[in-house]
Amino acid sequence: MTISEFKIPFRYNTNRKSAVSWVASHALHHWPIFLVAIIGAIGNAALASVPALQYGVVFENLTGGNPLPSVFLRAGAIVGISQIIRGFAQFFRNFGFEVTAQRIERDVRDEFYISLLGKSMTFHSLQSIGDLMARATNDIREVNYIFSPGLNMVLGSINFLFIPLGIGASINPALLLTPVLFIIFYFISIAHFLKILEPVTQEVRSTFGTLNSRLAEDIDGIETVKAASQEAAEINRFKENSQAFRDANVKQGDIEARFIPLLLLALAMGFGLLHALILYRQGIIPLSSVITYFSGLSMLGFPTNTSIRSYSQISLGIAGARRLLSVMNSENNLDQNENGHSGAISGKVNFENVSFAYDGQNLNLHDLTFEVNPGQTVAIVGQTGSGKTSLVRLINRTYDPLSGSVKIDGLDLREWKLDSLRAQISIIEQDIFLFSKSVAENIAFGKPNATHEEIVMAARKAQADGFIEELPEGYDTVIGERGATISGGQRQRLALARAFLTDPKILILDDSTSAIDSKTEDEIQQAIKLASEGRTTFIITHRLSQIRWADLIIVMRKGRISAIGTHEQLMQTSRSYRNIFAEAKE
Amino acid sequence: MAFHQGLTGELYDRQYSNKTLLSRIWDYAKGHRTFFIWMMITIVLQGSFAALPPLLISKVLDEGIAGVPNETAYTILVATIIFLQVLDFVFYYIVRRLLSRITADMNRDLSVDAFASSIEQDLAFHDRLSSGRIVSRITTDTNDFSMLIRLTMDVAGSTVQSIVTAIILFNTEWRLALALMAFVPIVMLVVTRFRKLARRVTTQGMRAMANVNATIKETISGISVAKNFRQEEEIYQEFKTSNTTSFKVNVQRGFVLSIVFPVMRTISGISIAILVYFGALTVTQGLITAGAWYMILLASDRFLMPILSITSYWTQVQTGLSAAERIFALIDSERSVIQSDDLKVESLSGKIDFNHLGFTYATGAKILDDFDLHIAPSENIAIVGHTGAGKSSIARLISRFYEFQEGELLIDDIDIRKFDLPALRRNMGIVTQVPFLFDGTVEENIRFAAPNISREEITQLAHQIGNGEWLETFSNGLDTQVGERGAHISMGQRQLVALMRVLAHKPAIFILDEATASIDPFTEYQIQQALGLILQRSTSILIAHRLSTVRSADRIIVLDHGSIIEEGSHQGLLEQGGHYAELYNTYFRHQSLQYVEEAGQILGKDVTGKIPA
Repeated sequence: MTISEFKIPFRYNTNRKSAVSWVASHALHHWPIFLVAIIGAIGNAALASVPALQYGVVFENLTGGNPLPSVFLRAGAIVGISQIIRGFAQFFRNFGFEVTAQRIERDVRDEFYISLLGKSMTFHSLQSIGDLMARATNDIREVNYIFSPGLNMVLGSINFLFIPLGIGASINPALLLTPVLFIIFYFISIAHFLKILEPVTQEVRSTFGTLNSRLAEDIDGIETVKAASQEAAEINRFKENSQAFRDANVKQGDIEARFIPLLLLALAMGFGLLHALILYRQGIIPLSSVITYFSGLSMLGFPTNTSIRSYSQISLGIAGARRLLSVMNSENNLDQNENGHSGAISGKVNFENVSFAYDGQNLNLHDLTFEVNPGQTVAIVGQTGSGKTSLVRLINRTYDPLSGSVKIDGLDLREWKLDSLRAQISIIEQDIFLFSKSVAENIAFGKPNATHEEIVMAARKAQADGFIEELPEGYDTVIGERGATISGGQRQRLALARAFLTDPKILILDDSTSAIDSKTEDEIQQAIKLASEGRTTFIITHRLSQIRWADLIIVMRKGRISAIGTHEQLMQTSRSYRNIFAEAKE
Repeated sequence: MAFHQGLTGELYDRQYSNKTLLSRIWDYAKGHRTFFIWMMITIVLQGSFAALPPLLISKVLDEGIAGVPNETAYTILVATIIFLQVLDFVFYYIVRRLLSRITADMNRDLSVDAFASSIEQDLAFHDRLSSGRIVSRITTDTNDFSMLIRLTMDVAGSTVQSIVTAIILFNTEWRLALALMAFVPIVMLVVTRFRKLARRVTTQGMRAMANVNATIKETISGISVAKNFRQEEEIYQEFKTSNTTSFKVNVQRGFVLSIVFPVMRTISGISIAILVYFGALTVTQGLITAGAWYMILLASDRFLMPILSITSYWTQVQTGLSAAERIFALIDSERSVIQSDDLKVESLSGKIDFNHLGFTYATGAKILDDFDLHIAPSENIAIVGHTGAGKSSIARLISRFYEFQEGELLIDDIDIRKFDLPALRRNMGIVTQVPFLFDGTVEENIRFAAPNISREEITQLAHQIGNGEWLETFSNGLDTQVGERGAHISMGQRQLVALMRVLAHKPAIFILDEATASIDPFTEYQIQQALGLILQRSTSILIAHRLSTVRSADRIIVLDHGSIIEEGSHQGLLEQGGHYAELYNTYFRHQSLQYVEEAGQILGKDVTGKIPA
């Protein structure tokens, strides 16, 4: 069992050891429908040979000197009925594989999604959303295609490889020779085909990825491209990228062109016929058996022709599954600590020799030590990249420190139950994310059962009710991509309203918004003041006024605390701190 | 809602007649004319030869029945069969190689043209369209299109095989052949009925899938919020609903698509059963030989299978054609910024004149009317005003991102429409509100507009700003990877890199649409330093949001509803107590140090006796 922050047991166990075993374990879970599909496939193949056998019967009767219409009628009826049944078998095969494929797509996506939810923020902050999206959609689709059309075609046609065996054996055991040899060489050459195809299909995918991501970037940054008059250069780069994609595609085409089983088929057809004719000449088998045998051999054409595309499909699907597994099997370093300490937080925070590294090696924070008393407001300042955000992320245990200890109320965070801890700590992040839902639902996100009155009250405290009332549908206005647009300052106040509703004991505000006008600035100041009352508050801020009036100021520089104290103390002791107030004066 | 987003059209979409479409496709295909001719020849040969084996076998069989077993005939037969199959391999080899080249080349050419067209479009075009959808048009639609070519070739092969088989059948026994032909209209009927249904369920499937994508994108983007509030369960349920809906719709689609082939198969099975019976009867009546009867049965599959695949092709051809239509619409989309000449200027002094200029947005809103503004070489002007006053429009007209409708705009006394655009923009340094960086190193991004500058020069420039300390905040200095759109570095760092870009580039004209996002006070100080360096040597147009930037300008232009209502220096305008003073109170007051002290009262602090040292 992997450790994860959030657990929803997936409905059944899967084997994540390798891509093949993982896909197989999903398929096995759906064995009844998979079985229906396979029975359909076998039935379809078995019934496909019926006409050939009947042709032989009729032919024998026709050439036997005493043709009987009743024999023809019987043969015709057998052909007709068998082909009707075959239609049903084929339907069960196609639909069975289709349902299997769709169920596996659904379940794989479900399992993948649960796994994503359980990943720590360390993972999510390093992973690009675009890449995860590509996996969750395209790669999962590829896994679907393994079954339909991939395995549908392979398992549906593979039976046809064995029909000549049956027909051959029923006529004369010697006639087994050609089909047996064909089958052996067929599988050897398919294995070889898959092996040389693998690196090339991977290249196709990766060149497409490069092409696509640069393209998306260019269109998003069109203004910059134009401003720097780099259109020609970017078109050239696009040409290079699409040439690489083209070359990979041609390479794949060339491999598919050299499809050896087609040559094997030629030999099998020729020598099989020759063999049968020799036996006929020796009087061992009748002419009608030659026909039957040759019709049987012709069936080898079906699996041979379908295998070109279906095996490429399967190899792409396995590559997709591998990409999914590489995400799912990546390590999580946090767990929810179900049995840990839980209880009300009073709000005392201690950092004791804390060091931290996102990648576990290159330190982002060096040896931080400080103490914050309940109810204090702490301003954290410093240049971009100095470690301010990393510092506050350790407080709600988004990440664990590499060494040292972060304590709340004197107890190391790793001793706390994660649920209890996070429920009492609220972070308002730099990029405030709002869901494409109504304003009310966004405010109530942390407390889904909040009443309308509570929501309005929280919005009022956050100084947000003013602009909410002005929205076209007030609290029911849908925000987001297609809905109303909300400015940075408004987003921040919505986030503060969210925090008011959950009433955290520790509030962390990563504040990079700037008020466009002074009136809004007044409102933001008000909102932050109300928010910080009665709780320990950490503010990463660019607002000189917030820094000026904080109870404690931590100045960060290159991952270390370069100065700590009150405004008055720092004005005396820190030159860089003095600088920022001097500059603003000008 | 986002649900239907992918299914609506775009403004530039247009309808092409099938004839136009085909001739446009031919434009891309004709470069490969020889390839196509070779491929068609190969396909005709392949189709013809593939129809032969049954004919040969029936001949031999007839001889066998006649009781004249002939060894050479057997040898020839076997050799021919092998030869034909080997030929099939060779033909397949040739066709596959030619086809993969043709499709890959056409795909490349189409997407390059579509990309070139969209990148050359003015900003008015990009303002209105989502970048995601343009991207999918350039890649996904071109892929759909190449599928059309591949299918067309497959179908051409099948058609040839069907026709050749039909000819042989008619020559051998026209009555049985005719019976087989009766199958064709039945198939056509079934397919037409089925196509509509298939298209409907396919569209539904696509919508449901788009919905799943939207849900995943949104919930994963917001995952940190969900984690902070421990609401993973809720977003999981949201995901699950859309995933389950998609599953149901796609199974329905699968049902419809799974049913068609078995139906065809059954119909063809019944036709063959009839052929077996009546064919054998005809043989007994002496009308045809047993060999011919057998041959027809053997050939029936070779005749029917291509027909089945041709019919299924029609359900897909529409996808390919409409993909082609979408790509051509993008390639043909009209440009609004058109140059009348291509004056390739080397250097400019940076004099800018707006004379009675009128500018209307694509939406119809009139932004500037009879607008006059004259900027002297190396003058620094700041433009201030309420949102919608037309500040950005002025900057973007100088950058020639948009077309204006009335009056004239002169750069160094030359009509802006007469310049070669790349040459003009080489003389401009433009920093947009949200600075955009490309995936690559800090150095590559600085060099973006000045490819020839040396690393030493960049380092030297970097050290003119805050002693180069900002470079130390990058994990790897100039070689730090900035990530897609600059995502790996902070907003302040992005702005510094964008300003460094301009410093390296040394343009005659500098246009800054200042970021509204706040920057930490330490970085802010460095940005102001960089800005100071640029202002010294370029004509600058600053759309200012920061008090310090406004103060650094030579002249402040106060804009209201597209007209200049006041101009002058910061101090002079403030003393006038007019519009600028009002703007100052609205937008800039809170940036002053005085406000910092006043804020103590808002924050409920005891401000007495707490004057900063």
